[in-house]
Amino acid sequence: MLLSTVIFLPLLGVIAIALLRGLGATAVKGIALGIGLLTFIISLGLYTGFNADTATFQLVEQKNWIPGGVSYHIGVDGISLWLVLLTTFLTPVCILAAWNSVEKGLSGFMMSLLALETGMLGVFCALDLFLFFVFWESMLIPMYFLIGIWGGERRIYATVKFVLYTMAGSALMLVGILALYFQNDNSFDLTTLSGPFEHSDLLFLAFFIAFAIKVPLFPFHTWLPDAHVEAPTVGSVILAGVLLKMGTYGIIRFCLPLFPDAAEKFTPLIVTLAVIGIIYGALVAMVQPDLKKLVAYSSVSHLGFVVLGLFSKSSAGIQGSMLQMVNHGLSTGALFLLVGMIYERRHSRMIVDFGGLSKRMPIFATIFMIVTLSSIGLPGLNGFVGEYMILAGSFVGQAFSKVYVVFATAGVILAAVYMLWMFQRVMFGTLDKTNEGLPDLNAREIVVMLPILLFIVWIGVYPKPFLSKMEKSVGVVVTKVQQTEPAMGQLEQQKSRDPKLALQETLRTQHEKREKEAEQ
Amino acid sequence: MPIEINWQLLMPELIIALTLIIVLVFDLFDSISKTVLGWMTIVGAGIALWVSIQMHYAGTVGTQFNEMFKVDNFSLFFNIIFLVSTILVVLISMSYLDRGDRKQGPYYLLILLATLGMMLMAAGNELIIVFLGLELMSLSLYVLAGYFRESPASSEAGMKYLLLGAFASAFFLYGIALIYGGAGTTSVPAIAEAITADDKSPLLLAGMFLLVVGFGFKVAIVPFHQWAPDVYEGAPTTIAAFISAGPKAAGFAAFLRIFMEALPNLQVEWSGVLILLAMLTMTVGNVIAIAQTNIKRMLAYSSIAHAGYVLIGLAAANNDGISSAMLYLLIYCVMNIGAFGAVILAKTEDGESLMISDYAGLGTRKPLLAVFMMVMLLSLAGFPPTAGFVGKFYIFKAAVGAGHIWLVIIGAINTAISAFYYLRVVVTMYMREPEEELEISPYASTLVVGLILAVIGVLLIGVLPSLMLTPAQNSVF
Repeated sequence: MLLSTVIFLPLLGVIAIALLRGLGATAVKGIALGIGLLTFIISLGLYTGFNADTATFQLVEQKNWIPGGVSYHIGVDGISLWLVLLTTFLTPVCILAAWNSVEKGLSGFMMSLLALETGMLGVFCALDLFLFFVFWESMLIPMYFLIGIWGGERRIYATVKFVLYTMAGSALMLVGILALYFQNDNSFDLTTLSGPFEHSDLLFLAFFIAFAIKVPLFPFHTWLPDAHVEAPTVGSVILAGVLLKMGTYGIIRFCLPLFPDAAEKFTPLIVTLAVIGIIYGALVAMVQPDLKKLVAYSSVSHLGFVVLGLFSKSSAGIQGSMLQMVNHGLSTGALFLLVGMIYERRHSRMIVDFGGLSKRMPIFATIFMIVTLSSIGLPGLNGFVGEYMILAGSFVGQAFSKVYVVFATAGVILAAVYMLWMFQRVMFGTLDKTNEGLPDLNAREIVVMLPILLFIVWIGVYPKPFLSKMEKSVGVVVTKVQQTEPAMGQLEQQKSRDPKLALQETLRTQHEKREKEAEQ
Repeated sequence: MPIEINWQLLMPELIIALTLIIVLVFDLFDSISKTVLGWMTIVGAGIALWVSIQMHYAGTVGTQFNEMFKVDNFSLFFNIIFLVSTILVVLISMSYLDRGDRKQGPYYLLILLATLGMMLMAAGNELIIVFLGLELMSLSLYVLAGYFRESPASSEAGMKYLLLGAFASAFFLYGIALIYGGAGTTSVPAIAEAITADDKSPLLLAGMFLLVVGFGFKVAIVPFHQWAPDVYEGAPTTIAAFISAGPKAAGFAAFLRIFMEALPNLQVEWSGVLILLAMLTMTVGNVIAIAQTNIKRMLAYSSIAHAGYVLIGLAAANNDGISSAMLYLLIYCVMNIGAFGAVILAKTEDGESLMISDYAGLGTRKPLLAVFMMVMLLSLAGFPPTAGFVGKFYIFKAAVGAGHIWLVIIGAINTAISAFYYLRVVVTMYMREPEEELEISPYASTLVVGLILAVIGVLLIGVLPSLMLTPAQNSVF
């Protein structure tokens, strides 16, 4: 029941707000924050109750839902645990951050935010493909409203683009899910799925494209800058912090373990796209005049790293990617919050409008500096650990050429260039007259930022508690994904059935033999 | 030879016929308020619905009149669809008609007649009976489409519907004649026996294609859909809701019965045609709907597209396909009538709000109405956790099970396309400011009741699909 409580408590909050909206703005905010905090506190029970020594799903709940293979089946493992906690952590932070910034339709805003939380948590916990898809799609609606009603000038264009991109991807995924159903003894249960599947290449692509749009992987990223720029601050935080992770989560949950052969086949293509994304995102971020757009493009770059790490198929690389998902949620979320705070004061996000802010707003500048450094990957802060593990894992993992890793590393340097250059232009130099009256952060805003800073430092200094919980589950993914050829026993069986496979095997041993001889 | 009549088997039809007579008689008394007739219709349809549900639970099976009339779970499930549609339509009609001197008596009478025709179509075990039901339904609908005599648009809609519908009926009748020529009988089970897998006379094939044309017309499949937008736009909004729901389901009921029961041996021939028509219907319906500025026309094209989704179930031609098509029709009827109901509810002092731009700012002006509308549109677009998603999901699942992956891919892409125009109305309601403040008329209670029922239905089936899925699965003949 613990997990169900965590997932559906926010939905209860939606209903509570709908019924009690007449009590006024403060009450609505109070309920929202209370529910958000309560969900977070309860979700800590997932952490304490989580057994790190096993890779199986824990806190599992399973009930028949619809006859014919659909069940309400949820659970967490080391992979979803951190994303669940990230979601429950960021939501109350967002509610607090939006305390005074919503001018119209406050109750609707809070209801959307809480409904979104339920949707996101459901995606991370669902162990049934039908349930997964239900959460995946239903989460679109509140996000659609968040951007469309409370967004900036071009909000309608941005929100429709966001929904259509996602729907186009999920349409294909739906077909993939249905095709898997018939290969899984007419069941949508994720835990009973085991390959090899027929048409695994197509199935892989059906899932991967849906996730790649969500990540977003270059060249599917064009919806992201629009959505980020037009979304309200909190919308951007959730979008960058959690929604994008649904894509990478999907890759690690579905694409890699279910279709290892196809993953192997498409690795060069995907890794190329990831590296292009890293460099392209960084280069485009560098020339953005708009702070929010800069952070948005930096997301494209950062998520490129995550995809690179996932396809390194090494334990270190995937763990690094997992950690980097959380890191990106924290530091990019924090960056969006900070940009939002400055926007509320100045009603501008243009870098040229600022300069010398560190004199007027020392606390703001300090926090901004820490978050910037975290985003760049300064040793001692969280970003470094994730990026280092990804790059190291990719380098030793031998899943793809080391040239990719070299190019990806260039992305780290570029990140330092665009972030620090931006920081310099905003914080140092001469203070414009119009900015002289800007007040520093107030107590509420500091309270919003502090918990994020705490985790930024914690993960940077002592990432072990985070890594140890995910180790086993990642290990299972690694073994599954490295089984590009079926395991020994299966192989013998298959060889007798499939002469082509037997031939391949012979060729491979011959090839290895020749290589050995050449070495000697 | 005296015919033994099993009255119990005919209960739902008899109740509707009785209600019809009662309404007819009470319409003669001017002293009785005409809304009473509406309530009588609802009560009659409600009882028939209750009886149908009971018979469905009991799994009643039987034939009547020399096997011309067949009652089974299939026909009973469709009875449920028709009666639910009728009740919802009457609920949203009562306040809509209650303006000035419009004669209401014949309106309810015609709706009941059409409902009876639909029930005959679903239970017809004989092509002639199906044709009789079809005509009974269609003739009533022609009159209903032109019911607002003083409105040129309504008259035009009635005329257009009559002319094109008559053509369709002729095609259908010609198809029956050719099948009779080929098979020597018009009885559904006898035709199935007469057609063997290796004996496919050209007469039969020609007859089959003519039936496809006839049905295609009635359920508005591309390329036989041209009448639909004009009729929907011109007809009274309640009648547009009615035509888009029950009669479409009835058309599909007969379609299913004849093709699956009488012509299974021609499946190779017809399933390819249906796949092609399904792809065309979905794509044309959805793409043209994007360009519409009038909400009734948009819903007309959307209903064409939905017929395409149902066709996927037919093309799958297995038990899953039939049951998912039936489930989809039920869901579709509820959500489509709900959407039209919301359109009626949005009427202003100046008249109905028919342009999509009229809906700007509705989210703040009339939050309850906007929520109704949004739920219906999200369901039509197929977003979970609404019934529309469940319906589409099971249709797609049946088609994947039958191996029609490409059909499903096109269907899924169409779902994404359709989201664009459904969401555009939501965008207008919640995200745009109105150009001029239009005073919206106060809510009529019956209309709100109808809409609340539709919303509850859509959400309930969305969360607990087995409520309707299991009965649908038990209804495959």
